[in-house]
Amino acid sequence: MLRAMLTFIQVLLSGLAIGCVYGLVALSFVLVYKAADTVSFMQGELLMVGAFAVVVLQAAGWPLAAALTGGVAGAALLGAVLERTALRYTLGHSHLSAVLLTFGLGLMLRGGVTAVPAASHGMFVLPLPWADEVFRLGPLSLPGGQLLVMAITALVAAALSLFFRYSRSGLALRACAEDARSAALMGVPVARMHTLAWALGAALAALAGVLLAPITFVHLNMGFIALKAFPAAVLGGLTSLPGALAGGVFLGVVEALAGLVLPEGSKDVVPYLLLLAALLLFPAGFGARRTA
Amino acid sequence: MGVPVKPGRAEAADIAARNDSPAAAGIVRASFCRPLAGPALAALALPLACLLLGTDYALGQATLVATYAIAGLGVVLIVGQAGQIVLGQGALVALGAYAEALLAAVGWPPLLSLPVAVALGACGGAIASLPARRLGGLYFGMSTLAFALVVEEVLTRWSGLTQGAAGMLVPAFGGGGWRAQTPLAQFLVSLVALALAWMACRRLLRSRLGRAWRAIREDEAAAAACGIDLARTKSAAFILGGGVSAFGGAFYAHWIGFISPEQFGLMLSFELLMLVFLGGVGRLSGALWGALVIVAVPQLIAVARDALPGEGVGSAGLETALFGAVIVALVLWRLRGEKRRGGSLR
Amino acid sequence: MSAARALFLACLLLGSLLSATQAVAQVAAPGVSDREIVVGSILDLSGPAALLGAPVRDGMLLRFEDANAAGGVHGRKLRLVVEDAGYDPKRGVLAARKLLQRDQVFAFLANLGTPVVMATMPAIVDAGRLHLFPFSPHESTYSPLHPLKFQMFPPYQDYMEAATRHMVKSRGYSRACLLYQDDDYGLEVMKGVESGLAKLGQRLVERTAYKRGATDFSSQIARLRSARCDLVVLATVVRETVAAMTEARRNGWAVDMLVSASGYSSQTHELGGAAVEGLFGVSVLPLPYADGAPPRLAAWIGRYHKRFGADPNVWSVMGYVLADLFVRGAEQAGPELTTARFTAAMERLHTDGDFLGSPGYRFSPQDHLGSRQGRLAQIRNGRWVMLTDYLE
Repeated sequence: MLRAMLTFIQVLLSGLAIGCVYGLVALSFVLVYKAADTVSFMQGELLMVGAFAVVVLQAAGWPLAAALTGGVAGAALLGAVLERTALRYTLGHSHLSAVLLTFGLGLMLRGGVTAVPAASHGMFVLPLPWADEVFRLGPLSLPGGQLLVMAITALVAAALSLFFRYSRSGLALRACAEDARSAALMGVPVARMHTLAWALGAALAALAGVLLAPITFVHLNMGFIALKAFPAAVLGGLTSLPGALAGGVFLGVVEALAGLVLPEGSKDVVPYLLLLAALLLFPAGFGARRTA
Repeated sequence: MGVPVKPGRAEAADIAARNDSPAAAGIVRASFCRPLAGPALAALALPLACLLLGTDYALGQATLVATYAIAGLGVVLIVGQAGQIVLGQGALVALGAYAEALLAAVGWPPLLSLPVAVALGACGGAIASLPARRLGGLYFGMSTLAFALVVEEVLTRWSGLTQGAAGMLVPAFGGGGWRAQTPLAQFLVSLVALALAWMACRRLLRSRLGRAWRAIREDEAAAAACGIDLARTKSAAFILGGGVSAFGGAFYAHWIGFISPEQFGLMLSFELLMLVFLGGVGRLSGALWGALVIVAVPQLIAVARDALPGEGVGSAGLETALFGAVIVALVLWRLRGEKRRGGSLR
Repeated sequence: MSAARALFLACLLLGSLLSATQAVAQVAAPGVSDREIVVGSILDLSGPAALLGAPVRDGMLLRFEDANAAGGVHGRKLRLVVEDAGYDPKRGVLAARKLLQRDQVFAFLANLGTPVVMATMPAIVDAGRLHLFPFSPHESTYSPLHPLKFQMFPPYQDYMEAATRHMVKSRGYSRACLLYQDDDYGLEVMKGVESGLAKLGQRLVERTAYKRGATDFSSQIARLRSARCDLVVLATVVRETVAAMTEARRNGWAVDMLVSASGYSSQTHELGGAAVEGLFGVSVLPLPYADGAPPRLAAWIGRYHKRFGADPNVWSVMGYVLADLFVRGAEQAGPELTTARFTAAMERLHTDGDFLGSPGYRFSPQDHLGSRQGRLAQIRNGRWVMLTDYLE
């Protein structure tokens, strides 16, 4: 009985940790969706590029903290540059054009990384502090990597909510998301906010990549996790930041527990069945106030 | 009409056709002789491609272009006409492919098995469209994605029927002793199939249903006010679009000769969506042009790469990156074109 | 005036045109000229198996360049044309047509991925070209016997059966379990493990699957643990191997694990560190460790690194060894190279292992599968160490 209880908690924790990563990527989806009114299909690639950037910087001799900051900032810069050079032109056009544009840009990013011989030959470890330690709490063993993921996710969520509540740019960004035209009339530089949203989205994805590194290592296909994170974002309503995070955690936990409790083979379908059900029961997502 | 093919003119006509106004009809009529331009161009391009690339290679490409175009036509109906976002069309293609593969394996002739494949795709479309009663826009698109993932999972798990992840072999297309095994035969078969699907879609577009789709696409509230049953009309788009895509899927199964659930994943759905957008969602010919880009451009890049000096080392990601660049350039080019004309492309 | 009708007519016209040109395309010995032999390969350089495709390509290139530097095969230089199909059978079919017709390749080497292989093999064989050593566990790549099909990779089913049997017999396990990837690879391993166990009167106590690209293995490991397994066979690739083992060790479960050759990689212990210490694995070709390598191997590793800017891994070795088999076959076929002569030469080919540590490959007119064996290895002190010779 105790054994089963322990197993349950352990699996729950793993689910929470992976759910946090889903949540972070989902946050980046939502940020972009709110500001640019489109779904970005290059978040997975940005995640991968960001993680690789940190690995490269660290290999170049930077200390870990500097490499992390540099990698995430680099991803933000990349997001901004892509917005300035390409994504900007989709403003005022349909969902679909921007979706396809991000898809194409994603292919370019992926191709660019693949062309580096070392990247196409293997996977890399990102030595985060405490990631390999295991903390014991009585009979429970808490992996440091999972605790780290949860802690950083909580920090990021707090920072984001402060940013959107109190900072000038954050408020401006929210105004643009609500109603770009009125925001422009109120003197909000809408175009600049558009850039900011993509940069923030890219930075969040890169951060998620760094946190994913202890779990899956850094490699070409690590961005596939976005395929799970996107449903999480929709589950949360696509317009709600807390909703996205909650959706991610929910999906992670359900997935992990389904594998434990339900018969073999159902693990992978359950999240999607759940997604279908959630979409039908809450047509606007868990956390949304307005419908699309 | 309504199927202008020459790119430059086509967008104007596309927008015009969407408005369905008398003036628009005028523009379309002005380009009356244009419908021939596309096929004529294609007819010229093919021998040229044969000379440059080799007959079998060019025919193989043309076969897959036609097959993808059929699957794309289904997306045109759903996305371009009815204005619904679909992120899971790959599953409908899969249904057609699996139905055809299973029936062909037990010896059904194509004349019997193809209708079943189409019917299965239509059923899939009907199921996928159920959430449309409650959801709109991207949320609905998302539900089709979930539907597709569930279908893929079922195909993987139902291994008694589909042989699961191990995949199943598909016999060559044909019946009564004749098999389409040469590239030429395959090409001709897929061409006939494309022509059939095309004509069916054209009839649909001109029908009352087609007008209802476009009305919904432009303004759901107004369409409802005109007495259009939104849910039923959207479902019809999915049923018919699913049937057409499944028809394409049936041929895909034959030409590839081996199907496994992973082939019909998210990638295919996105490819199809991208295909119709690149070609132009609003018109049927968009599917053909888009298929040309999606299927042929990576091949052209590969051919161009061979012409470049130097070893192929490092080209691993280069082709992917170039393909991405082509897509980005095409999308930006289209956006710029729209801006000039002040129109907006859905 | 329908566009469709016009299209149809135009293409009917074309049909006659094309059949005329088709007759001209036939050449006596495709891909072989006085100066060179052209060889094609359809790999995955951008899709889910890109981590495998790139080193295989580089390994093959290196062997061909070595052969060319030594004057070629009977004076003919070898040229490798690589196409990227990205694990997508549609691109594979087109790539095969391109290589068949445009590049006129003599043989296909190391085509990668079951969907791609199954989609392209019929056209390749119909065109009378050799289909050699594909990366696919599918039986049809060597059986039933076909003069154009040869395989050198031992099937998962065969060597996993031998390895499971050896492990269970020598170490006395009684509750064997399986964690497998739910695709053709996982299924082949499962068949092997099941038949190995059946021969010892046992069966799998528990089996659990994961999807390719899965990140979290906590529930699978928990499931296996609650079944009280004493041996977990892993049908996983490198990353999943590390993840599964780490998950078990972290929770204090010190069960023995045995991974198929897909998890036998230096990356397994580089990434897994202490957690994967003691992992058993099956090797069909040894890893090229630079540290403590004999001079010839060290020189090879150095050349590879210099040429491609990355260290060779086990897949680079596979690429090199399979290209080497091709070169040997072509050499034995004699100066008048034809497909029939190559087949005859391959059917006589017996190799005795080389400096890379490959097993001997034995082909015969009755058997086109060069090897059925793997050997058992274990990670000790952060390095794979061979435990047995190639298992019968």
